[in-house]
Amino acid sequence: MNPVRRFFDSHRHHFEPGGRFARFGFLYENIESVFFAPAAVTTAAPQVRDSLDVKRFMFLVIVALLPHYAFGVFNVGYQAHRAAGLTPEFFSVIGVGLKAVVPMVVVTYAVGYFWEALFATVRKHEISEGLFVSCALFPLTLPPTQPLWQVALGISFGIVIGKEIFGGTGRNFLNPALTGRAFLYFAYPAQTSGDAVWTLLLPGRSAPVDAFTAATPLSVAAVTESGTIPQAWAEAGYDLWTLFIGFYPDAIGASSTLLCIAGAIFLITVGVADFRIIAGDVLGILATAGAIRLLAGPGAAPYLLLDPWLHLMVGGAAFGIAYMTTDPVSAPALPRARWVYGFFIGALTVLIRVFNPAFPEGIGIAVLFMNCFAPLLDELEVRVRLKRRLSHVR
Amino acid sequence: MERMHLPNGFTLRLSGRPAETLAAAPAPRQVAAVAARTRFLKPRLAVKVGDRVKTGTLLFSDKRRPELRFLSPGAGRVCAVNYGPRRSLQEVVIDLEEPEEAEAFPRLDEAGLAAIEPEALRRRVVEGGLWSLIRELPFREAAALDRRPPEVVVFLDHLEPFHPRPRVYLEGRIDRFRFGLRVLEKLSGRPPVVTACAGGTEGVEELKPFVSLVLEGRYPAHDPGVLLYRSRRRPEERQAWVLDGQDVLLLAELLQEGCYPTRRIIALGGPGAVSPEHLEVRLGAPLAGLIDGRAAGGERLRLVAGGVLTGARAEPGSFLALHEKALTLLPEGDRPGGLLEWMLPGRRKPSYSRAFLSSWKPAASYPMDCNRHGGVRACIQCAFCTRVCPVDILPQLTYKAVLAGETEEALAHGLLDCVECGLCSLVCPSKIELLETFQQAKAALREEMR
Repeated sequence: MNPVRRFFDSHRHHFEPGGRFARFGFLYENIESVFFAPAAVTTAAPQVRDSLDVKRFMFLVIVALLPHYAFGVFNVGYQAHRAAGLTPEFFSVIGVGLKAVVPMVVVTYAVGYFWEALFATVRKHEISEGLFVSCALFPLTLPPTQPLWQVALGISFGIVIGKEIFGGTGRNFLNPALTGRAFLYFAYPAQTSGDAVWTLLLPGRSAPVDAFTAATPLSVAAVTESGTIPQAWAEAGYDLWTLFIGFYPDAIGASSTLLCIAGAIFLITVGVADFRIIAGDVLGILATAGAIRLLAGPGAAPYLLLDPWLHLMVGGAAFGIAYMTTDPVSAPALPRARWVYGFFIGALTVLIRVFNPAFPEGIGIAVLFMNCFAPLLDELEVRVRLKRRLSHVR
Repeated sequence: MERMHLPNGFTLRLSGRPAETLAAAPAPRQVAAVAARTRFLKPRLAVKVGDRVKTGTLLFSDKRRPELRFLSPGAGRVCAVNYGPRRSLQEVVIDLEEPEEAEAFPRLDEAGLAAIEPEALRRRVVEGGLWSLIRELPFREAAALDRRPPEVVVFLDHLEPFHPRPRVYLEGRIDRFRFGLRVLEKLSGRPPVVTACAGGTEGVEELKPFVSLVLEGRYPAHDPGVLLYRSRRRPEERQAWVLDGQDVLLLAELLQEGCYPTRRIIALGGPGAVSPEHLEVRLGAPLAGLIDGRAAGGERLRLVAGGVLTGARAEPGSFLALHEKALTLLPEGDRPGGLLEWMLPGRRKPSYSRAFLSSWKPAASYPMDCNRHGGVRACIQCAFCTRVCPVDILPQLTYKAVLAGETEEALAHGLLDCVECGLCSLVCPSKIELLETFQQAKAALREEMR
C-alpha cells in the first residue's frame, strides 16, 4: 500500500470518536482530503456527480499563480542585485529572491491556516480551499521588504475580518487577500508605500547605488509634470518591453503583464475565471483613460494624456484584473452584473491613479469598493431577469 | 413537422448505453405492486397476507386519492407486505401460481372509443389502475381527475441516460400507440402533442405521422416541462398532462385487451452493466432477477431505478414499480481517491466544466460512479448551475430563497417551472443538494396548495 495511505490509516483512530484528538476529527479529515479525495457517496438524486469540486477549482488558480512566484523570486533578486550595482548572476539572484519570498509565503500560509483551522474547529465544518488561494495571492501583492510580522498581521486581518466573521469562503463579500493588503497599506504606510519599499537591499547596504531608480513606473507617472509619461519612463530605464515583462521594482509577483495575460487566458480556458469580468475591467480602463485623454486639453498633466492601454502595462492593474476581480465569491454572480462590475473596477482604477495623489495604485481599492456593490448589481440583474421570466416565451 | 430549439442543459457522457436489442428477462416466480420510490403516495392496503389475487386485483390505493389504484401485476397468493422506514409501505409481494387468472375489464375497440363518453373512459382507466401513469405538471403527480388539461404532451425520446428507445418499444405496436393517442384525446378533449428529439426518433419513418414537434437541445430537452416553459406564458397554461410514450401503450393495452397489462420494456444500462440492452420484463418483477448475470463483477454496484440523474437507489431485493422504465448499474465508488489525484490533468474525469483534460475530447463517454467527488462547501458562485438550468432558474439564488423560507421569492424565481432534471446538483462543485432542496420545497408547496 501507498506509504502516505498507510500513515493516514494508522493514525486515524486518534481522531475518531473516543480517540485522543476526537474533537479535531474534521481537521484530520481535512488534511487527509488534501491527499486523498473523500470516499463519500451520493445519498440523493442525481446519483452521479461532476468530477469538479471546490478543491480542484481553487487549485487551478494556484496553478495559474505559480509562474508569478517563479517570476517574483527572480525579479526580487534581480532588482536587489541591480540596486547593489552587482552583475545579476542567476543562482545568486534566485538565492536572494528565495530568501525574501519563501519566508513570506510560509508565514502567510501558517497564519492563514491557523485562523481558518480555528474557525473551522469552533464551527465544526471543514476547511474551505478558498483559503489556499487567498494565501497564494496575498504575498504576491506585497513589497519584498515587508516585515514578516506585518505579513502575519495582514493575512490575519484578511482572513478573519475579510472572510471568517462573515462565515468563511463563499459567504465573504470582500476579497480576503485584498482586504489584508489594504489593511497593511493603511496601517503601515511606511512599509507598504513610497519608493523605497519595492526594492530589496542586499545585506550591508542602506541605499541603492546612484544609477538605480527605485521609483516604480506608477510613482514616476504620478510625479511627471512635463513631457510625456513614456519619455519619463524611458528616462527612468523602463522601456515598454521591460514594463510588459515586468522587470521593475514592484510588488513581488504582480508586475508582469505578460504572465497576467497568460494566467487570465488559462483561467478562462479552464472555466474558473469569467471572461466578462476581465473584458469589463479592460474596457473600463480603456474607456475611462480614453475619455480623460479626450477631455484633457493640451498642456494638461502628462498622466491625463497617457495612452489608455499603457495603464494595463504598469503596476498591479493586470494582476488585479486576472486574479482579484475574477474571484467569483466577491464578484457578482450573474453575467450582466459581471460586465458592469468589471467596467466600474477599470474606471475607478484609472480615476484613482490619475486624480488621487495619495494612491499611486488604484486597483486594490477599486476592487474592494466594487465588492461592496456586487450584491446590489446582482439584485438589479435578478430583478430584470425575473421580469423577463414572465415574458420569456418566444 | 415543427422544430424547436431548447437552450442550456447538458448531456451526460456516461458509458454503458443499452444497445437497441431486446432480450426477454427470465420469468419471475414472484411479482409485486410497488409503493416505494413513488412520490406523494399514501397507500391504503386492500389485501392481507395469504389472500388470493388475480392479475388486476386491487392491492392498495392512495388514502387521499382513491382513484390511484395499484393493481396486482400477477395472479397468486399475497405472500408478503413489506414495510420500510417509518412503516411506509414498500411493496405487496405476490407468489405467482399457474394458471394465472386475470380480472376482466371491459374491452374497447376503435368504434367503441369513438362512441364512449370521456367520463366513462376515465372511469375505465381508473378502474384499470393506470390513472397514475398520467402525470400533471408542475408537481408531476398523477393528474387531477376533474380538471381538463390545457395541453397533453407525449414524449417519445428520453435524453436521460438510460431510457428505452422508442424504436424498441414501439416495434410492432404502432397501431396500439395510435389507439392510445386517441384515448388521450378523448380523455383530455384535445389532441396530444407528440414530441421526438433531434437525432432520436425524429428520423423513424413510421413515426413521422404522429410526431408533431421535434425538439433540439441537450438533456433535458425531451422534458415537456422545458417545452412548456419555452412556449406557454401563463403558469396555468403549463399544467399539462405529460406521458412517456411507452405508458401510452400500456393505457391502450388495458383498454383494448380488457386486462391489466403485465409487461413492459425497460432499458438496463450503466457502466456496471454487462451487455447493456433492452429487456422485456414483467411489471413488478424482482430487480435481483432482472440484473442477474448482467452486473459487472469486481466493484460493489448501486442499482438505480430510473435514470442516473432523476432515479432513486433501489435495493436488489426490491421490485420494479409501475412507472419505472430504466435500471442503471453504477459502481458505488465508496473508496478514497488516489494520492493527489485531484491535481492530475484528468483525462478520464467527465465534467461539465473545463477544469479537466477530458473536456477537450467531448465525444467520449466515461464510466461514472456514485462518489460525490468532493466535500460539501459553501456556494462559491461559480454560476455553473445558472448556465445549465434548462428553465432559466437561478438555482444558487433560488435555493437561498428556499432555505430562508422566502416562498414568494422562490416562486418568482420559477421554482414551479423546475423540471427536476438534477443538472444543478450534478454540476455544483460545492456539492450542494440543490435538486433535493427544490423537490422538498415543491412538495411542501403542493401540500399547501391542496
